[in-house]
Amino acid sequence: MNTEERKLADVLHRITPEPPRRVTVEQVAYRLVSEPKLGQTRGRESAGPRPRRRGPLFSRALAPVLAAAAVVVIAGASAGIAVLANSHHNPPAAAGGPASSASSSASASFSPTQTASSAQQTTPATGLAGAPWGAELIGHQALVQGSLISADGSLYAIGNTSTLDRINPATGAVVASVAYNMPVWNPPVVVGNTVWMVSSYNGGNIVLQGYDARTLARTSSLLVPAIGGVSIGGQGVLTSGPDGDLYVAAGETVAVVNPAVPQEIHRIQVLAGKTSSVAVSPDGSKLYVGTGSSTSFRLVVFNLPSDTIANESTLPSGGAGGNLVATSGGVWGTTGSGHSEWVWFAPNGNLARAVQVGRGAGGGLSSFPSYSGGVVWVGGTGDVVCASPATGQVLATADIPADHGVAQYFASPVVSGGQAYSYYQTDASQQTGLARMTPPAACTGNVSS
Amino acid sequence: MDTLTGVEHLAEPDGFRDFVEARSSALLRSGWLLTGDWPSAEDLVQTALAAAWPRWSSLRRQDAPELYVRKIMVNTFLRWRQRRWNGEIATGRLPETHAYDVFAQVDARQSLLAALDRLPARQRAVVVLRYFADQTETQTAETMGCSVGAVKSHASKALARLRDAPGLAELMTGEVAS
Repeated sequence: MNTEERKLADVLHRITPEPPRRVTVEQVAYRLVSEPKLGQTRGRESAGPRPRRRGPLFSRALAPVLAAAAVVVIAGASAGIAVLANSHHNPPAAAGGPASSASSSASASFSPTQTASSAQQTTPATGLAGAPWGAELIGHQALVQGSLISADGSLYAIGNTSTLDRINPATGAVVASVAYNMPVWNPPVVVGNTVWMVSSYNGGNIVLQGYDARTLARTSSLLVPAIGGVSIGGQGVLTSGPDGDLYVAAGETVAVVNPAVPQEIHRIQVLAGKTSSVAVSPDGSKLYVGTGSSTSFRLVVFNLPSDTIANESTLPSGGAGGNLVATSGGVWGTTGSGHSEWVWFAPNGNLARAVQVGRGAGGGLSSFPSYSGGVVWVGGTGDVVCASPATGQVLATADIPADHGVAQYFASPVVSGGQAYSYYQTDASQQTGLARMTPPAACTGNVSS
Repeated sequence: MDTLTGVEHLAEPDGFRDFVEARSSALLRSGWLLTGDWPSAEDLVQTALAAAWPRWSSLRRQDAPELYVRKIMVNTFLRWRQRRWNGEIATGRLPETHAYDVFAQVDARQSLLAALDRLPARQRAVVVLRYFADQTETQTAETMGCSVGAVKSHASKALARLRDAPGLAELMTGEVAS
């Protein structure tokens, strides 16, 4: 190596952060069970002397066993909280439960101020055979699962190519984009004319970044100290309240930020471990805070603005949790078994009364609750449902058919302009992108939230 | 050990767990350099390890498990780049002064990824394998499934492109703390 090469090598080693968590054998095993094609030899990918076409472990005789095991896993995940095993949720496009040997840092990048790109390509809508609620593909961007949100006539999502994108819902085209690397799973949070993103979530420091909601040019940034260090299992660490304040899971506390300044204005002590997820009720009277590890998720409910604790509860059978969404009737969140994730609803924030909503996702895919258009939506690989924000009752359900025997995925929809939009993926035909669907009248949100 | 329903049907190969525990961090960091984000990096590493699982005994006998895993990672990454939309996005950078070290650290990572984003997929893979994974040119050629000459060519072109990458020069002269 010459001097330039050595300097580059030094930069790569010095700047590349430690991963927020490790990969575990259990995760790999689950991938093998749920995606048996991964175990098949691809000739061009074998190294050195080529291994046998099929290793002894993946014989033709064992393939049906693996397929059957996959069914068992999905069925187990659908059986409700009572059968919840330990979670190693770690979807490919969302931060999940921490692995057993997770490192202490969650790294990030925050994008430099960018000028938004002009409109990207618009693709004609493509019908998806048998898809729920007449879904048709209107865009082919690869997005981070669960990152799609709707605000003020636009859709926002985190792109798989490390971008924050604004999407025109009428065309499915990306109309503005800025570089963004996701340090911890969190969808965009829109307050007024600003899109807020978590740009660093690492050790004792959290960096929030504000972007112009139209152009996505960076407009502001704020450093928020994390008392005691950030949780390594953060899933939904930033949200906004009805008054526009931001709430950030900041170590053993929740920081409240006035985004207009921006400046931290309040700090709530949470004496139940490191905070990993936050949500505020629509009327601003309750703050829901998730804490815990991969084996135990605790939910603390605070009265606002007194900061007194109203309730504390734990997922009955253990397991990780997060991605909280608050509605008038309580709080919604996720948990999962292995790579299967599903959504629960806890009336009044009491996990002892939590019920599963929807069949969730498998195969490393994510199923997050979304609250949009007056109802709560839950997607996945089994079905798409809309549910009452007040009671958790499912208002309508649509099955998601398999695509040539391979699961299709519809993320939880969001509503814009009276239409529902969902991020769609299928491995069978290698299609991915934004889907537009027309849910039944029951999902139109004529239910008090 | 955590229990996953159904997974107990799989027999864990000898030494597989030790390898995963010892090397997953390094593999994930390589995945981050290739893909630019952690979820994709995790997906990449899990995919490669899952492909290696059934043939682990053979790979261990050949003393080549990591080479194989990296090969799967690179090939999977190259397939993704072919498959997924990767249209270029116009960007502009405004000079800023940062008040906190954490901002500098975050921007350093952003600069590094932005520089790598300028590279075609194969050049990016060569940079990661040669200069981060510390593979020799011969090993890189084997991992990439190409000739040593092609590796040299990719590396040379990559270095030329990276010379013009905004922010990277400062990183290479050590002006920004990690």
